[in-house]
Amino acid sequence: MKRGLYLLLLLALPLFSLGDDNTALFEKGNAAYAKAQYQQAEKAYQQIVDGGYQSATVYFNLGNAYYKLGDIPSALLYYEKAHKLAPGDEDINFNIRFANSKTSDKVEPEPEFFATQWWHNFILFFSASTLAVLSILLFLAGFGVLILYLFTSSISLKKASFFIGVTMVFVGLVMVFMANRQINYFSNHHQAIIFSSTVTVKSSPDASAKPLFVVHEGTKVTVMQTNDTWIEVELPNGNAGWIASSDVKEI
Amino acid sequence: MLKKTGNLVILEGSMKKLGLLSLLLLWTALSFAQLKFTATASKTNVGVGEQFQVDFALNGGGERFIPPDFHGLDVLSGPNPSTSMTSINGVTSYNTTYSYILAADKEGTFQIDAAAIVSNGHTLTTNSLKIKVKGQAPQQQAQPTQQAQAAAPDDASKADAKDLSKQIFLKAEVDKTNVYVGQQVKVSYKIYTRVGILGGQPDKAPDLNGFYNQDVVNRNPNSTWKSETYKGLRYNVATIKQSILFPQHSGDLSIDPLGMTVVVRLQLPSRNVLDDFYGNVKDVKYQMKSQPIIIHAIALPQAGKPADFSGAVGSFSVYADVDKKELKANETLNYTLEITGTGNLNLMNAPKISPPVDFEKYDPKTTDHITVDSMGVSGSRQFSYLLIPRHQGDYMLNPINFTYFNPATKQYVTIPAKGFSIKVDKGDVTANVPAFNSTDQQEIKLLGTDIRYVKTSSAGLYKNGEGFYDSVLYYILLLLGPVLFGGALFYRRWNTQYNSDIVKVKSRLANKIAAKHLAAAQKELTAGNKSAFYEAIAKGLYGYLSDKLNIPIADLNRENIADKLKARSLEAALIKQLDDTIDLCEMARFAPVTGIAQQEVFDKAKNIINEIEDKI
Repeated sequence: MKRGLYLLLLLALPLFSLGDDNTALFEKGNAAYAKAQYQQAEKAYQQIVDGGYQSATVYFNLGNAYYKLGDIPSALLYYEKAHKLAPGDEDINFNIRFANSKTSDKVEPEPEFFATQWWHNFILFFSASTLAVLSILLFLAGFGVLILYLFTSSISLKKASFFIGVTMVFVGLVMVFMANRQINYFSNHHQAIIFSSTVTVKSSPDASAKPLFVVHEGTKVTVMQTNDTWIEVELPNGNAGWIASSDVKEI
Repeated sequence: MLKKTGNLVILEGSMKKLGLLSLLLLWTALSFAQLKFTATASKTNVGVGEQFQVDFALNGGGERFIPPDFHGLDVLSGPNPSTSMTSINGVTSYNTTYSYILAADKEGTFQIDAAAIVSNGHTLTTNSLKIKVKGQAPQQQAQPTQQAQAAAPDDASKADAKDLSKQIFLKAEVDKTNVYVGQQVKVSYKIYTRVGILGGQPDKAPDLNGFYNQDVVNRNPNSTWKSETYKGLRYNVATIKQSILFPQHSGDLSIDPLGMTVVVRLQLPSRNVLDDFYGNVKDVKYQMKSQPIIIHAIALPQAGKPADFSGAVGSFSVYADVDKKELKANETLNYTLEITGTGNLNLMNAPKISPPVDFEKYDPKTTDHITVDSMGVSGSRQFSYLLIPRHQGDYMLNPINFTYFNPATKQYVTIPAKGFSIKVDKGDVTANVPAFNSTDQQEIKLLGTDIRYVKTSSAGLYKNGEGFYDSVLYYILLLLGPVLFGGALFYRRWNTQYNSDIVKVKSRLANKIAAKHLAAAQKELTAGNKSAFYEAIAKGLYGYLSDKLNIPIADLNRENIADKLKARSLEAALIKQLDDTIDLCEMARFAPVTGIAQQEVFDKAKNIINEIEDKI
């Protein structure tokens, strides 16, 4: 089912030209990865990303290359970037969980209210791009069926086409809303990965402030606010404090 | 006297029989007074290093001898127990003696405390002895005549003792001092002497902390003496001990000295004719030690060190074998790995083998054929792995790469051992199946975990900030549906309105039909082709009427048409008009017509068709 959706997505995406050299780089990276030459694979993928291009796939592959090179924080950073573009992708989510098990900090997330969790699972089920394509297809098909409703003379066809068309348009609207909520969710959840091997979290944005706790590289934090060279971060377990912004990279 | 000897006989008996009369016990009690335990020294005035004997004698049977404290005297030998029994004229006497050979290594007065022994349940103790040690040891029994004089020349013998260290010494030699951890080092302890050695033995083996030590077993128990020049002097040299050492960790490791006590015979300057004849010698006990040696052990390099390095250092070869290549499931398979060569074979771990997952693997059995000689430790170590395939199939025992560190080339060397393909036939279901395999189903074994592989399908790249969502195209496409729907709605409304007037609709339809049939005429009209135009008009009208009135072309004539039209109650005027027009057209085909324009004729024909359409 999902594979089919991605195919649809792929049909829509050639509208946005991707340079031939990027495709070549991507192929080169895949070939190098297959031969376990992770350094070359990482270089090729990174070149695509540095060129200002993005996609869940290239982020995921770059994360894999970093993982194989032993750079867990970078791997997690790119996995999370990929997750943002394709939140429902099981491969990405699996690798995030796997790479997280290699980090030194074990953070038990605060339990979420079940309805909130369902809501997040719901809006993150498809990526925004998938939702966009799906909603357009549903709109076109739904209104097409409604046009048929206008001109058909058969009563049964009229009845059926009306309900089908209205349902499709409604589902399309729900998807437009989901995509909107998802974008909103990610823009409100600024997250970052710790890149310094050991970071002492302070109680205030000041080097001499009281240390609260220590986090290690690879840990994912939520960015609460930014203050000059300091940022306030919160761990999934609810602990919060200030660290230098150079210690993290935002997803 | 008779009585007494009788008592002794009874005493002997009483030792075996316990239930004796109290009278007899009284007798025996009296007889104990005659049991004596005495200590005697062969001499009480001795020189330093002189050997003398101390005997502890009991004129009866004893047990649990408790040796005395010798207070600093060296025990060279002992306790040496001896018993003797003599029977003269039926009178048996029994003696037990414990003797010691002692020597003193410094001057002074030494006390030998009382020794104790238990006899017949009574503890007997000896007297204590005092030994005076003064001066050097006098000459031994070999020159009994010189004994008195020999004790005198103290100065001479002292001088000899001083430079004895040049005359006789121990030397430790290693074949190398800079080695890798695990590389073998041969250490030899050699005795260098210019004087005669009467006897001696090494002290306890030196501590070799930080080394794994294997002594070289000397097949020839008699030391062979060789002549060697050292610092300009000739010495007799013998190797007394050889060990192969393996440093266990990196750093400076010390080989402790080996101590040895020897008794040497010194030549003294002769003082008289007899000395010249017999030689004036004396025996001296001498202790010596070899020098300590520092070995610099270097850790094995990390570069190129494989993860499964088994710790082998030296030079090896590997050979793999299996006892069978075809077997039934649940039968045993022996996989043998033999590592042959020179190096730390004893310290080598079993290489890890990775048989197919369906094989049960047991810890290997290790068999050594290792010889330690002056060339080092060499031989072979055999690891025998017991494997049990549990399922039928064709399996591959992958070749094993055995890696060792070669200290000569300072590199890791990996040598492959053979791999084997094993054919496992279906085994007997009943035989050899462990009891716990109660069901045939097994859980899938998880061998490892890893991240998911990269996605190789199209990358689906797009420029940052140019995602499809939120793009202009997205909104256009999103609005396309509603806009189309709106258009359709609008069209339907217009259409409904357009078709609401039936008369208008009908005339529109008639017009269409006329245009269709008069299309050819219209063409000729614009072309200005007169005769063709009139022909086309006539043809068009006939064609229309044929269609409309359902008259086959063959029956198509004016009468027929007029009849049919009349039958459909069409006005006579219209029929006449039609008739006239057809007339005109037929005429105009052959003769020029005047008074009417072609356009007029065309409109007329069109009108007629429209009228007929209207009426019928």
